[in-house]
Amino acid sequence: MRSFVPITIDATWIAVDMATVREIGGPLTWIALPTATATLPGVSAWRGRAVAVADLAAVLGAGERLASPTGRIRTLYLQQGTSTLAVPVDAVREPLMIADEDIKPSRVRSDAFCLGEANVEGHTTLIVDLGVLLPGYRPAAARALQ
Amino acid sequence: MVHVHDPRVRWGVPAAQVIRIIPAAEWQAAPAVDVLATLGPAPSGGGQRRVMIVNGAGDRETALLASGTIKVEDVDPTTILPLPDMLAESITEVSAIVVAHDASLSLLVNPSAVTSPDDSRAS
Repeated sequence: MRSFVPITIDATWIAVDMATVREIGGPLTWIALPTATATLPGVSAWRGRAVAVADLAAVLGAGERLASPTGRIRTLYLQQGTSTLAVPVDAVREPLMIADEDIKPSRVRSDAFCLGEANVEGHTTLIVDLGVLLPGYRPAAARALQ
Repeated sequence: MVHVHDPRVRWGVPAAQVIRIIPAAEWQAAPAVDVLATLGPAPSGGGQRRVMIVNGAGDRETALLASGTIKVEDVDPTTILPLPDMLAESITEVSAIVVAHDASLSLLVNPSAVTSPDDSRAS
């Protein structure tokens, strides 16, 4: 069993590993960077340092992209290795435990960030590892094999 | 710091690196570099368009297009936050963000990392 935080963006349900969540905050103020990627389009200030902003709409290839300087209603701050990501989302649900056997291979996505899918409150929910957006990041599954 | 209130994104450079600022129409050398070009076209700006000549790579003069109001402002060093490593390696022309009193953000441009059209022709 592992603990996950379900979040939504537009109509898509996603869950991230609770162990990576450092903080859940309100709307984000951020600034776009020239030559940045669509998935990491800019930066924000958090706890006295600059952190990268991840746009889940760009990651998923669906929904309205972030437009600087405003984010979405909620912001998840995720610790991925030594890096922190600010992830604006539409809603954050109650954390919940999901058994490993309840996480099935995703039927609709084969992206590297998608670890599988599970049923959360009747919604098909993608279990994601956003660390794969970071250069040089090794997914948890790969680290476990070392 | 010299801040440019560009409608796309506010940005600035350390005042010590600014040599002079002139109306864009008076700049006759190679096209000025628009450091925000990938964020969209520069606003036409009417009389607001200027060129900021800065000390660039190798102490060469580099011309930056400045679209928007220009202000010289004191910045508390503690409000200058370097880009995270993961972005700093790929986005060298921006070295940090600056957090204003109202929590709004601006980019601190590193003139030494800005590539001018002259650099492209030389390579």
